[in-house]
Amino acid sequence: MKTLDKLRFGVAGLAVLFALGTSGPAVAEDITLQYWVYSDFGQGDALALQQEFIKEFTAKHPGVTIEIVGKGDDDLTAGQVAGAASGNLPDVFMNAQSVGAQLVEIGALDNMYSKWMAMPEEFRAQFDQDALKSCMPKPDELYCLPYTGFGSLLFRNLTVLEKAGIDTTKPPATWDEWFAQMKQVKDAGMFAIPDETLVFNSIAEIYATSGGTDSWGFDWANRKTRIDPATMTKVLQKFVDMKPLGSGTSRNDQATKDLFISNQLAFHTIGPWVNPTYEEAAKASGLKYDFVLIPGDEAGKTGGIRSYEIVGVAPGPHADLAFEFAAYITEKAQMARWAKLLSRYNANAAAMADPDVAALPLIKVSVDAAHGAMDVAAPYFVDSVPSCYNSTVIDIASATADGSSTPEEGAKEMISQLNDCLAK
Amino acid sequence: MSVPSLRRISIWVVLKWAIALAVAGIALFPIWWMINVVFALPGEPVSLNPRLWPTSIPAGMEKIGLILTETDYLRAYTVSVLYAVLTIAGVLLIGSLGAFEFALFEFPGRNLLFGIVMLSLMVPTAVTIIPTYLLTSQLGWVNTMRGLVIPGVASAFGLFMLVQFMRAIPKEMIEAARLDGASHTQIYWHVALPLCRNALVTLAILTFMQTWGNYMWPLIIGTKPEMYTVGQVVGMFNSPLSHQTVDMVMTANLLAAIPPLLFFLIFQRKIVEGIATSGTKG
Amino acid sequence: MSVRRYLPHYLMIAPFMILFAAFFLYPILSGFYYSFHDWNGVKPPAYVGLANYQKIVVSRDFATAMRNLLTYVAITVPLGILVALGLALLVDSFTGRWANFFRNAYFLPVVLPAFLAATIWRWIYAPNFGLLNMILGWFGAPSVNFLNDTGTMLYALIAVDVWVSAGFNMVIILAGLKNIPAELYEAARLDGANKWQQIVHITIPMLGPVLFFVVTYGLISAMQVFDKPWLLTGSSFTSYGGRRNALLFPVMDMMGRAFGSVRFGEAAAYGFLLTVTIVILTAAMFGLRRWRGWA
Repeated sequence: MKTLDKLRFGVAGLAVLFALGTSGPAVAEDITLQYWVYSDFGQGDALALQQEFIKEFTAKHPGVTIEIVGKGDDDLTAGQVAGAASGNLPDVFMNAQSVGAQLVEIGALDNMYSKWMAMPEEFRAQFDQDALKSCMPKPDELYCLPYTGFGSLLFRNLTVLEKAGIDTTKPPATWDEWFAQMKQVKDAGMFAIPDETLVFNSIAEIYATSGGTDSWGFDWANRKTRIDPATMTKVLQKFVDMKPLGSGTSRNDQATKDLFISNQLAFHTIGPWVNPTYEEAAKASGLKYDFVLIPGDEAGKTGGIRSYEIVGVAPGPHADLAFEFAAYITEKAQMARWAKLLSRYNANAAAMADPDVAALPLIKVSVDAAHGAMDVAAPYFVDSVPSCYNSTVIDIASATADGSSTPEEGAKEMISQLNDCLAK
Repeated sequence: MSVPSLRRISIWVVLKWAIALAVAGIALFPIWWMINVVFALPGEPVSLNPRLWPTSIPAGMEKIGLILTETDYLRAYTVSVLYAVLTIAGVLLIGSLGAFEFALFEFPGRNLLFGIVMLSLMVPTAVTIIPTYLLTSQLGWVNTMRGLVIPGVASAFGLFMLVQFMRAIPKEMIEAARLDGASHTQIYWHVALPLCRNALVTLAILTFMQTWGNYMWPLIIGTKPEMYTVGQVVGMFNSPLSHQTVDMVMTANLLAAIPPLLFFLIFQRKIVEGIATSGTKG
Repeated sequence: MSVRRYLPHYLMIAPFMILFAAFFLYPILSGFYYSFHDWNGVKPPAYVGLANYQKIVVSRDFATAMRNLLTYVAITVPLGILVALGLALLVDSFTGRWANFFRNAYFLPVVLPAFLAATIWRWIYAPNFGLLNMILGWFGAPSVNFLNDTGTMLYALIAVDVWVSAGFNMVIILAGLKNIPAELYEAARLDGANKWQQIVHITIPMLGPVLFFVVTYGLISAMQVFDKPWLLTGSSFTSYGGRRNALLFPVMDMMGRAFGSVRFGEAAAYGFLLTVTIVILTAAMFGLRRWRGWA
């Protein structure tokens, strides 16, 4: 029995060698790239456009196929982590800047710096420089191409504001004006704003009305938080002030959107992804709304956060081809088509400046919002943020708003706990 | 059957019906509400239409049609159903073979082996999922139905449940069959299995529910769209920052609930009353 | 010689044991190995001895998670089983169409995908305009923020849990009820026993093994609770546990460490700490059974 097996193996092995040997210089290598995108981009019109991009690219590169796969946010990361462990990484993929550090650690992201520098200057200048900087933790490292993104917007329910006797033609220019309007809305018997202490991003959005990127985020060298105690005290006071005026729901809750649509909520600070819902409501039930910049403490300052999604390339034999594809989809022509289709902001500044694109109202506001906004978790790609960080911020913000400590104590406590969290 | 006169309807009967209906209401209302969200005009605020009953059948049908044609939902149905059915076949067969032995016979190492199997129930999946994935990947089973099904077939849950049901089988029946000259396998097939039929049907139903709702494993094994289960297709809609409107999300989720419901309705009829054990008298 | 005698037994369990060894035992041992290493799935694992275990046990989150878990389990398991038993007996007392209707109705929550159930309940629990608060409003009571008030969150979770698990356990108990021969009840009735006595002296003892299964499995799975609190608090790998970690549970923390911070060694160590706890509780259950002669 054993000898027969050995014989079988031998014959099989020879056959394989033979096949390999005679395949010789056949047609140009047939390569398949795996391309993972966010679930939104893997459906409907967005998918159709992505598939067009793929068709155009593969027409110029015979023998190459690109398989596009859509996944939800957490799933993208989980899949990439599992893929890295087993050597089945996607070749080109999207994800958020904020998980960049984890992806670098598991080897899912290739350092594209040299390939980047080999591209013509006009290509490189197309990108929004701030967004690009966040992909470059060190001068000679580039881990991603910034893709889509958002800046927080302030959605206003005009019916509610008019009922409260507020002039809706001029959006509030400063925090004080905005807060006064919130109180007016409450006096008229409606909710002013969602509970901003429930979600990390909404806390950041309000923090940005007083602070900025320099007084937020991480000092990785010393493993401390950059949050400034004085600013945080001021911001915690704002949460205390807003508590009686809020709806008790978070900015991400469906209930908040329902309140907005049924004309019981005046303001909604959130990103542009709720716009399709509100647009539909405008058609179906006459919702009157608009979107403006979140006002900061002084005129000209805006609050809100910005965040980008990135396109990354995995290291390995297909990295060069994958980079070419990534460069193709992120350049101005494609990004302009993308923006026009979805009416959403992206990180290609040249595309944003394109007159057709800039005329779209959501884009115009988003560009301004992103410029004045605060990076939600900078600097990226250096180290992964421990989960205790976000939950500490949320916990202490809600506790202070509940009244269990004064803003000053709360700020001090928060910063010391955050430093402990980072020190581990 | 004559209608009992009013005097005869006891307070217990009234109470029983009241409780049963109230609980049914609690169990069913959330699902009823979800159906109403799907079959309503999108964008209508909740205060105008609190979704207490379906308000627009055409709108709902349109959404369902949209989802079925625009996503690979139908293919995902096939994948999920195949995954569930194959898993059930495997779990029932292999689990009952094992349970037969562990419940009814003594042999060296029985308690030790059973203890080890029970132990596996107590180790959370989060710990084993990556090593299992790596093993499956080394076998070359990533993105295949084999890789999806086989790692789940040796289910400790199934074994434990069947053991408990089989312990109720009277030893006399086994002895009687043995005296009649039945082989070990024949005893298994002709005596034990029929007697725990209710357990087998119940296990089939529960296994279906568990595989249908299984999320993490198909996510990392089935990375290509051809292998997406219903859970993964629905997962694309459920992303919190998704641009989808809530009624589309609900529609996608509703469609995911239909096959398990059908499976349950079909198979629960097979649970038969009072398995006769009068055989012992013979 | 004796191996020959037992051979049929070993052969029958072989398929199960082989698959089990490959796909459960081996990963568990792997996990155990990695729990003593620092590993992110890609780099070669680096031995760190008990460091992972130490780090977890002293962390504040561990104490919170375990505290939440023990409270949750102590309430959910008995409550869920009592409700399931009650429902099973209730359904059993009907016949024909109505029995089918009620059984199907009570099982329906089990059929729902977890995300859907969570979304529905988030709406029901929503402050001010959720269904529950609307009902409270009719009675003039103030709105309760069920999912964000640290006092109520755990109980809100338990309610959802019982809503689903009651149906799950009910069908298992029903299968057991149907296996009880009718003659036993006949004989008891002829002896003059009333409904209650029949339940206490026939039903419950005959259900012994089934009840033992439901309680033990219920305990084991409650200790590993994950998807409901995760979905009810809208958690993601970077931020989970709900307000002030009121709904933080061990398995959630494990998933966060595994996929959020990509620290598989830590996640595995956490897993085994939890396993030890579960083993102790389960052994107690089995011990009780042997001592009291149940099941």
